[in-house]
Amino acid sequence: MATLIPPSPATETTSPASPAAAEQQKVDYLNMPCPVPYEEIHREAMMSLKPEIFEGLRFDFLKGLNQKFSLSHSVMMGPTEVPQAPELVKIPTAHYEFGANYIDPKLMLFGRVMTDGRVNARLKCDLTENLTLKGTAQLAHEPHMSHGVFHFDYKGSDYRAQLQLGNGALVGASYIQSVTPHLSLGGEVFWAGQHRKSGIGYAARYNTEKMVATAQVASTGMVALGYVQKVSEKVSLASDLMYNYMSRDVTASFGYDCILRQCRLRGKIDSNGVVSSFLEERLSMGLNFLLSAEIDHRKKDYKFGFGLTVGE
Amino acid sequence: MSSSRVALKASKGKVVKKSAADEDDGLAAVAAKFVKEWSTFAMKKAKVITHYGFIPLVIIIGMNSDPKPSLSQLLSPV
Repeated sequence: MATLIPPSPATETTSPASPAAAEQQKVDYLNMPCPVPYEEIHREAMMSLKPEIFEGLRFDFLKGLNQKFSLSHSVMMGPTEVPQAPELVKIPTAHYEFGANYIDPKLMLFGRVMTDGRVNARLKCDLTENLTLKGTAQLAHEPHMSHGVFHFDYKGSDYRAQLQLGNGALVGASYIQSVTPHLSLGGEVFWAGQHRKSGIGYAARYNTEKMVATAQVASTGMVALGYVQKVSEKVSLASDLMYNYMSRDVTASFGYDCILRQCRLRGKIDSNGVVSSFLEERLSMGLNFLLSAEIDHRKKDYKFGFGLTVGE
Repeated sequence: MSSSRVALKASKGKVVKKSAADEDDGLAAVAAKFVKEWSTFAMKKAKVITHYGFIPLVIIIGMNSDPKPSLSQLLSPV
């Protein structure tokens, strides 16, 4: 007889519980996660689709002196491209680069100096818990070839704001806000005094655990859309569309990123007829072997590189 | 005839006003020029200091951090 009791009261008692549970999971609009910084909005797509393809030999030696301080020695031999109309000219060069890094939770300093005197410096300092100062500079001996930018980042509970000041009277500001737990919207504005250019841009990013979709529009004529899907624990696929509405230039690319136990393989194919691939293989603890290949079928430009990285 | 006299008076007035505005402008222009020159000078010195001094600064900060590495560790290739 008990079984003949109609199940409706039971369902009635459970069904209000499930909407209540659903309501508890309902979005708390005052308690959003902090979004990614504005310049990293395409982060996943960039990491998958744009590895550091190089040509020639590359050897990096990273020596740690203690937990926070390390020195690096790099040798690079290969052709570098010099754009000389009407075509690209490759000049073989070889250089050695010495670097020093200091990494602390509050202060990070990164410096590299090359044999021709160029210095590449980066600084990241946490002034307070939410305010960070970042600076990058590329300095050269020739006059007017140096460039430096400072960024002041403020991280709020569900927003980030950034102010940029650079040489050549460059001023920029950007702001990004989490609108729902998955969607964040942002905008940026910049003014370059020396080139008398100014621009405004907007970006949106939608991410779940399995995928990230981004869109960015700028008044400089750039429209960039990206989509990254994590197909499994080890593999993710990415695609990207860049359109410049001023110069009517379109590029679409599609790539994959496999992170396996001993190696990381990234490859992509482009609508410009470029196929590229990048392999980082961990031969043993602290020893990484790199292979890079880029084949440009349209320009008939073939770039192959190999390298070794010693040290963590 | 009257119109030409009026025109002359108007132009004289304008000239007088212009010289008074000129003085104000001159002061602001001189101040702006001074700030710009001084900031360019400071930027040039800052650029040279950063160019030569950044890597030594990182090395000094690193050598003074805990635990202190020794000089032989800094210079040896291993």
